[in-house]
Amino acid sequence: MALTITDQAKYPFVIDAADEVKRQDIDISNLDNPSFKPIVDRAFDRIEEALNSNPPQVSYHPQEEAIETPSFPIAIIIAAASNSDYIKRRYALAEAIRAFGLLQQEEDREKIIKVAKIFNWKIRTPTIPVGHRRFDFALFFVDYLRNAEVFHEDEWKLVNKILAKGEVYVNKHEAARLLQEEIRRRIEKRLTANVRSMLPEAILQRVDGLSQKYASRIERARLSMFPKEVVNEAFPPCIHLFYGSAKTGTHISHLGRFTLTSFLINVNMKPEEIVNLFRASADFNERMTRYQVEHIAGDRGSRTKYRSPTCDTLKTHALCPGPDELCKKIRSPLRYYSQKTRTLKK
Amino acid sequence: MDSQAFIRQKFAEFYEENADKIEAPPLIKQREFGFMVFQENIMVRHKSFLNAEALRTYMKEAAPAHAYHSTAYYELPEERMENKGWLGADLYFDIDADHIATKCKETHDQWTCKDCGFGGKGQPDVCPACGGRRFDQKTWPCDECLGAAKRETIKLVEMLTAEFGFTENEVEVSFSGHRGYHVHVAAETAREMDAGARKELVDYITGTGLNVALFSPEATPLTSDSVSWQSRIAKGAYEFLRTTTTKDLIGLGMKEKRATNLLSKKQLILESWKKRGPWWQIEGIIKKEEVNMFINQVIEQQSAKIDTMVTTDIHRLIRLLNSLHGKTGWLKVAFPASTIDAFDPLKSAVAFKRGEVKLYVEKTHRFRIGDEWYGGYENREVELPTAAAVFLLCKDAAKLVD
Repeated sequence: MALTITDQAKYPFVIDAADEVKRQDIDISNLDNPSFKPIVDRAFDRIEEALNSNPPQVSYHPQEEAIETPSFPIAIIIAAASNSDYIKRRYALAEAIRAFGLLQQEEDREKIIKVAKIFNWKIRTPTIPVGHRRFDFALFFVDYLRNAEVFHEDEWKLVNKILAKGEVYVNKHEAARLLQEEIRRRIEKRLTANVRSMLPEAILQRVDGLSQKYASRIERARLSMFPKEVVNEAFPPCIHLFYGSAKTGTHISHLGRFTLTSFLINVNMKPEEIVNLFRASADFNERMTRYQVEHIAGDRGSRTKYRSPTCDTLKTHALCPGPDELCKKIRSPLRYYSQKTRTLKK
Repeated sequence: MDSQAFIRQKFAEFYEENADKIEAPPLIKQREFGFMVFQENIMVRHKSFLNAEALRTYMKEAAPAHAYHSTAYYELPEERMENKGWLGADLYFDIDADHIATKCKETHDQWTCKDCGFGGKGQPDVCPACGGRRFDQKTWPCDECLGAAKRETIKLVEMLTAEFGFTENEVEVSFSGHRGYHVHVAAETAREMDAGARKELVDYITGTGLNVALFSPEATPLTSDSVSWQSRIAKGAYEFLRTTTTKDLIGLGMKEKRATNLLSKKQLILESWKKRGPWWQIEGIIKKEEVNMFINQVIEQQSAKIDTMVTTDIHRLIRLLNSLHGKTGWLKVAFPASTIDAFDPLKSAVAFKRGEVKLYVEKTHRFRIGDEWYGGYENREVELPTAAAVFLLCKDAAKLVD
């Protein structure tokens, strides 16, 4: 069964964007040509819808395939040209949520399989019940984990799923949600292309107008800043424990030390102070400690400033000392700190 | 000759004769290699080899104390970490007696507190003398510890084949050459998994994050046909209650009266569990905390105690197959997963099969190599077969007599 015109309009990401533009005989450097105006307008619409809805979502216009389908690759080019991470992320998410909604409404499970195969999933429809339940799909666990690993609810954890012979059993809703992740990532990847030089001036002006219109929102979306001074009382239980151990020179595992250091760097403790914190440990080596702290801070090596591990990771390695009430509402030590500092201020 | 130089000489002789048995990992060109060399006691990293022959030549020349390769595949394995270009990594599991509580450790593992110098046997959390937490550990591989590690390995292999669907050919089991087992899954389909996906896989193997309320209420202990934790927990809880004693329950923290009371209704509960679900809820007879206690027992028994850091680290270095372990002089050897029950590491991993060596032993535990038992020597000279002698020297438990 080939993809119908309706399918292509519903799931435009299944077609390679460059191919689509070529197929429609659209010359990007000529996008300001009035004959493309309806498509370009709809492309801008797609992005604005994404920026104006919450959760972000792009609408579906049935039976307008001639505009809907080609407007998607154009919207990709426009979002990529915005050079704004906020717009790109928001747009990719909105298109993915749109697809999720449409996939969920598909009566025919084969349609979902067809979309999944675009992403090379190994997926099938099981015919007999497993573990006393009927499931819509069985898919290869690697395909499952690639997408489910970002979900934090218990019901997505592999340990709580039926897993047999390499396959995870899921229902239609779950399959659609997993595909949403796959779609979001694919679109985000496409948005990294450098396209500005290819676009005509008139279109570029429109793109920049869009970026400007949402500039204040982009600013707000940046991570809320932590206080300038470190607030020890706002440490979560795990950090409190590691911090105390470091001060008294008690042994901390490698991951524990990394968690503590990256946490302290992120909450604005000076590298010098962090180095001093480890001074009590009997095998303290100033040069090594300084190197490691600066590495984690992104002043050396790969130049990436490391984020602190999440609660999930600490649990896997048995480093979570047990949650307090606030812990149950957050997913990482840094989020805990950010919430706690805010309540302490009040 | 000092002991270190002697061990190195023995390792060099071994590799001179047996380097051709060293198996290169698949896609050798894309692997990073690392070696711990004798004397300097430093790690040489970021090396790579074009083929197995080049690796074998290096092993003959360097005769390292430890040889490792990356589980990962890189575009440029000799570059610095951030420039290597990660392409994928094999799935790898490490099961080490260090992570399993065995009673025998009380008799053969020794520790010395790094802070106050106090020492003793076993594996303490804190030093009873000064409260310090940093120790010099002297560990000892014994049959009981290796048996415990083997049981965990069997559980892991079962999950990897039945649940994760890897074929027996894809799951390579090996003895690490010291205190445990390695399980290597070289399946191409698993290579692309990132650290986050591997973390979820680890949580599955260790039963972390399990929530029984999400399981099918119809899955009763006896009708639960499929694999997965759902059936494992249902069957396990049933088996646990069927076989447990008042003493066991008290050991788990239950009051004696309550334990006796619960066991008196055992048949009633078991019958009800067989009939209908959700099996974990029986109003009035068994408390939620008690069911949770059962569940935690099942998780403890049926999860596999793997080293969680090894599997989630996608840049890890792991020991090269058929190379010598510098802490024992034993080989890392692979064997088919189906033969694990009969596998005897202390026979299969013996590298040195000729000659005898004179040693002075202050004191040592008993140990076995092949079918022979050694040990029980105190402050005297002994002449031992090379394998036993190299083992004691590697463990720093004896001195060479010229």
